[in-house]
Amino acid sequence: MFLKNIKFFAASLLYFLLLVFYPTFSSAEEVRKLTLWAREQGAAPAAHTAALLIAQTWKDLGLEVEVKAVPWPQMADQIWYKRGGESSDEDSWDVTMWQMVSRPERSDPDEFTVNLFHSTTAPKGYNFIGYLDPAYDAIADESRRTMDPVKRKVLIDQAQQHLADAAVNAYLVHPLMNYAYDNTQFKDGTAVEQAGMGIKNIWTYLNIEPIGGNKDLIAQSPDEIQAINPFFISGGTDSWITENIWDRMLRIGSDGTPQPWAAESYQWIDNTTIDVTLRQGMKWHDGNPVTTEDVIFSFSAPADIEIVPMYARFVQNIESMEDLGGGTVRFHLDSANAAFLTSTLAKLNLVPKHYYGPLLDALKGTGNNAETILEEKRIGSGPFKFVDWRPREQVVLAANTDHFHPPKIERWIVKEIPNVEAMLGMFRKGEINFISYYTGDPTVLEDIVAKDGDITLMKSVDIGFQYLAFNHRRAPFNDVYLRRALSLSIDRDMMVNAAWNGNAVRAGSHVSPALSYYHKEGIENFDTGIDLAKQILEEGGYKIKNGKLHYPDGVKEQYPN
Amino acid sequence: MLFVLGAVATIIFFMFRLMPGSPLTAFIGTTFTEEQHDLLVKKFGLDKSLFEQYLLFISNTLQGNLGLSFTYNKPVMGMILEVLPNSIILTMFSLMIAYTFGIIVGAYLAWKRATWVEGIGIPVVLITRSAPEFWLGMIALALFSFQLDIFPAGGTSAPGHIYYNTLDKLLDPQFYHHLILPSLVLAVYLQGLPLLLMRSNMLEVMQEDFIFMSKMKGLSSWTIVIKHAARNALLPVATAFTLGVGFAFGGNVVIETVFSWPGLGRMLVFAVSSSDYPLAQGTFLFLAAILIFMNFLADILYLFLDPRVSYKTRN
Repeated sequence: MFLKNIKFFAASLLYFLLLVFYPTFSSAEEVRKLTLWAREQGAAPAAHTAALLIAQTWKDLGLEVEVKAVPWPQMADQIWYKRGGESSDEDSWDVTMWQMVSRPERSDPDEFTVNLFHSTTAPKGYNFIGYLDPAYDAIADESRRTMDPVKRKVLIDQAQQHLADAAVNAYLVHPLMNYAYDNTQFKDGTAVEQAGMGIKNIWTYLNIEPIGGNKDLIAQSPDEIQAINPFFISGGTDSWITENIWDRMLRIGSDGTPQPWAAESYQWIDNTTIDVTLRQGMKWHDGNPVTTEDVIFSFSAPADIEIVPMYARFVQNIESMEDLGGGTVRFHLDSANAAFLTSTLAKLNLVPKHYYGPLLDALKGTGNNAETILEEKRIGSGPFKFVDWRPREQVVLAANTDHFHPPKIERWIVKEIPNVEAMLGMFRKGEINFISYYTGDPTVLEDIVAKDGDITLMKSVDIGFQYLAFNHRRAPFNDVYLRRALSLSIDRDMMVNAAWNGNAVRAGSHVSPALSYYHKEGIENFDTGIDLAKQILEEGGYKIKNGKLHYPDGVKEQYPN
Repeated sequence: MLFVLGAVATIIFFMFRLMPGSPLTAFIGTTFTEEQHDLLVKKFGLDKSLFEQYLLFISNTLQGNLGLSFTYNKPVMGMILEVLPNSIILTMFSLMIAYTFGIIVGAYLAWKRATWVEGIGIPVVLITRSAPEFWLGMIALALFSFQLDIFPAGGTSAPGHIYYNTLDKLLDPQFYHHLILPSLVLAVYLQGLPLLLMRSNMLEVMQEDFIFMSKMKGLSSWTIVIKHAARNALLPVATAFTLGVGFAFGGNVVIETVFSWPGLGRMLVFAVSSSDYPLAQGTFLFLAAILIFMNFLADILYLFLDPRVSYKTRN
């Protein structure tokens, strides 16, 4: 009887011990269910399809993946604003579809190389994934300081390889953008393709030759035009207009590199000093001459962040400017920055001091900033003059025949057309003659081109890219093996063909092949596949048990990593 | 009336703020810094408590100031007035067509009750009434604009044409040329309500004793329909019309989108989707005010159309 009790007691004790300490013995924890964020089908059809395909692929690795399709404001709220929250419940996204779009100043790799991945941009800037790597920071800093393009190219290549090895993001594709023009109204072949920007750029507007009695270039945009203001970075379409009205010291050339424009020439004196010489004989649209005083005003007025909040950071690095006479202005910089030409000299709009000076002065202390200026006169020195803006309908600019590079068209017009089908109908009818922003199905446009026979279609690889971003603050994404496995499980050709309908090219880094000089050749050509992914997971100590992925022994989830 | 407007303002204020998404998401970018973020928060007044923001909104609104749009940096009232004429003209034009057509055909169909005319008429009306506006618009565009090339496809003028002011626009024939197609499509969509309303009212009135009496008096059917029946059947249609006018100010998102018409409807959608609180609030409040006023006007109109409503005769 007693013995029996003891036996029972011992058995219970063993059982109890086992129950309490079992997790320690067999420590492999199951990887929790993951959330993959994406925009809704209607808003971003290709990326949405991609997300569904990716979730399916990852199931084969023993992961449970929930695709969360939400509108942009909600997505930004979660991913951008709740980063680094108190707990993993708050910072609750795991993986998200994300995109970067092309802009002329992104023709220099600096913006993406530094701002997207540097640890200083992790708390509030664009490094929302929380990637912290001192080794990468060093490469990025060095690339920003290096002026010599050959040496810089080595560093930018190194940065791309470093990010690829660490599988920081999973790059999917660089989309192909579609542009078209009516070649009965424009001489075929006179549109100019700018690296990564397509034919929707200033070089086309200056060089395209109207024929057959046509005098106007009539472009379209589905987006709202929000402002035409040299101090306000507003919608994308707005920037097409501002760059026509206001000149810059340099402009990004069709090859993607900064070229002298309103500046006749520039000369680096040392890493932090540059002399810029203004072109002679330039005039503002009101007839007054463009002076070095205007140049200094254009780069000093935006420094006041209260008055010109959006441009302030582009001139922050300018310590001082001096007028050397003879049209030359010397810029002294705080620190060496290889992107200064692209992100400052080719970015800031040249504005007349006699007109904008008093307007900006009047704003001081009112609580309002330069973005609220609603001037009737928009005075620049650019190749086009402002004529008329009818909100929600159209903007009309006229050629500035006094310009040193006058356009061949008489007027540049952009129409707001929210409906793609109606836009295509208007294009075929000739009510518009330039498709500058096509958001519809590319195959529809290709069919029309084939049928009509008088349309020139241009496809061009975007500077921007579509990718999957991992939340590095949350396990399991702190582990390079898992990130690599997830990234390499995705068949990139399937992404190109199935999700983007062939209207994209494979992506392997943040520098698009459109920027041929800085793109690391072949970085997008890597093997993919489930078996490869499983092999990498195994190397990292992960196990797939009963169809479920388990962490390596002893690994515990914690937040933040 | 003021009480209702106050309630509407309150609901609108909190509704937009409770929706997910921050108005700052539009500014996110690779070069967006914390300093800029904080400046924006301060400028938009988002650093104040919700209650403080509410008080500010109410006091500003009482002074007739609807604020500055977050995304456009322009005064909301000015933005409304910029596109309002386009919306009003488009919808009023369609309403006129729809109601004239609806009243006449409605009365006619009631008169022709239980004949083949009704057998064909009613299904046709129901089909056009329930066809999606978007689809109807695209069909109209494909046919009348892209194929037959009778009407332009969108906007209020030929590309590049400049109207110097609203009057210049209203006096320009090309404005009306651009107006016809969208307003006809909208009219096709709108005609169902007055038509069916008129018809069912007519049917009711026709049962009344005084119609029977008129028939016995030997009056012509024309006189009976127009002078006696239609006048009585018109009352609810008049109410529907005044309310329709109220709604007309809000424009019509679908038609405006299909025909690239620069109206208030598109602006509203943009305001809501980009969390532009001042623009969304201001526009909705403005519309609510118009609608409430039109409702009031409908009541007044009754006095003239139907003397029975007035207090005087009752006493």
